[in-house]
Amino acid sequence: MRKYLGNKTAILLFILPALLLYTVVVFYPVIQVFYRSLFDWDGLSEAKFIFLDNYKRLFHDHIFYTSLYNSAVFAVIIAVVQITIGTLLAFAVAEVAMRGRKFVRITVFIPVVLSITVVCQLWLAMYNGEYGLINKLFEVFGLSYRQDWLTDKHTAIFALAAVNAWQYMGYHFALLLAGVKSIPESYMEAARIDGASKMKAHLRITMPMLGETYKFCLILAFTGGLNAFANMYIMTSGGPGTTTYTLTYMMFRSAFRVGEFGYGSASAAFLVIECLIVTLIINKLIARDPIVY
Amino acid sequence: MKTLKFKHPVSNILIWLYALLSVYPLFWMIAYSLKNNDEIFVTNPFGLPTHFRFENYKTAWTSFNVPQYFTNSVIVSVVTVVFSLSFAVLFAYAVARMKWRLSGAVRVYMTIGMFVPVQVIMIPLAILMRDFHLANSYLTLIVPYIAFNLSFATLVFYGFFRSVPVDLEEAACIDGASIYRTFFSVMLPLIRPSIATMIIFVFLAAWNEFPIAMMLISKESLKTLPLGLLFFQGQFTTDWGAMGAAMTIASLPTLLLYMLFSEQVENALTVGSAVKG
Repeated sequence: MRKYLGNKTAILLFILPALLLYTVVVFYPVIQVFYRSLFDWDGLSEAKFIFLDNYKRLFHDHIFYTSLYNSAVFAVIIAVVQITIGTLLAFAVAEVAMRGRKFVRITVFIPVVLSITVVCQLWLAMYNGEYGLINKLFEVFGLSYRQDWLTDKHTAIFALAAVNAWQYMGYHFALLLAGVKSIPESYMEAARIDGASKMKAHLRITMPMLGETYKFCLILAFTGGLNAFANMYIMTSGGPGTTTYTLTYMMFRSAFRVGEFGYGSASAAFLVIECLIVTLIINKLIARDPIVY
Repeated sequence: MKTLKFKHPVSNILIWLYALLSVYPLFWMIAYSLKNNDEIFVTNPFGLPTHFRFENYKTAWTSFNVPQYFTNSVIVSVVTVVFSLSFAVLFAYAVARMKWRLSGAVRVYMTIGMFVPVQVIMIPLAILMRDFHLANSYLTLIVPYIAFNLSFATLVFYGFFRSVPVDLEEAACIDGASIYRTFFSVMLPLIRPSIATMIIFVFLAAWNEFPIAMMLISKESLKTLPLGLLFFQGQFTTDWGAMGAAMTIASLPTLLLYMLFSEQVENALTVGSAVKG
């Protein structure tokens, strides 16, 4: 049996395709990002080793700080909106007595399965200053909020965050619902017998027990927000001005528009470190042993 | 014990409002795919079309590259699903059940990939594809898509293989089956449910993928739907109905998949939380 499951040829045959592809396409590029960030390189000609100069330049680049700020705003908005609404919906849908819970569950999740391009195009149309749905809606209610949501530098980043929050809320909702359902009924019953209100029981029992799920949701929302790219690329091209730049957008522009691959790699390397730090902080904040029932 | 009742009509109404808010834009898109410009902008922007203009779909299908984009998306997604699942299932079996020294380390190494965002490695990936002369071919999308789905798929399959009792392999061994035979005839059928889950997961990821496609594909004949739709805004300013139709066509496969298997789709996407956190 030992020999049977230790068949060297079989092991090699089984692991090699996946291992090779993963190493070349995923792992090696991560190392390349860090390595290339130390060079002055346009992607074509000879690279010149300049050590940390790209990082120095990055820390003196005002667009870098704009990008950091925008990513942070974007990440915080989507995290707060998605997790708050996701929690409320998950608690409601978990109730057996709620009417139309299946309808709510399905409709809330639908945007998740749509392509981000479709979603962005759709919202571009809805935000449109002239004939957009949102301005029309204000008109119907007789309010004069009519404006160009995406070309106004004060509203643009919020408008983008709203789209992302809207699209992926369902994902967080599904995660939280799965979490709520996995909590044994007996806990709620005990709270009920002790006279706790529904609200209180959720606050004191359900939410603390969802620690692991919240941790994952937070990491997902924050790293997703910091890496945000498609929303900006499709809907605003980083504009107006640089008011919707993110680090990923900055990296993309450096490398593929201006031809500064080394500088772009430095932005990417910084992004990796940033995401790691955020993940560590969240892990630290919600440090708890997984609950076993 | 009385059943707990949800007694707050106000919050109930808010929940319903949110549900409507999350589905209305989609309804609006499908509705305007059946309207003409006049109805979309002026006479009837919110509601159902008064007259169903199916000719919009005909226009979208015949005048623009929708069939081409659709075919490309199908090819890329299907090939990605087939290969990423085959590679992952083989790999997972070798690290979960077979006896060799480095299996633990190799498994952890593969898991690291789940924490790498696509955006971060865009630059080296573009250079890599250029150096391999894969730029502007189907493979320039398929190869990264397969690679990107491997980490997660192997992890899910690994979990399933670990839950299969080892007696089955012993029995197969005693009956004289080769390790390959055991894998294909005994083990593979056992993890069928997880394969179904991963088909959905990988298909959705490949069908909707945007950043890599945007960066690596510039040839019109190779564009996938998410990419093709990007340039519609400019092209279609004169015919919104047709644009709505093209967008509806692009969303149809994933919408149908979700409508038919809503629970499995949600499970497929949330299963990650158990392992990723």
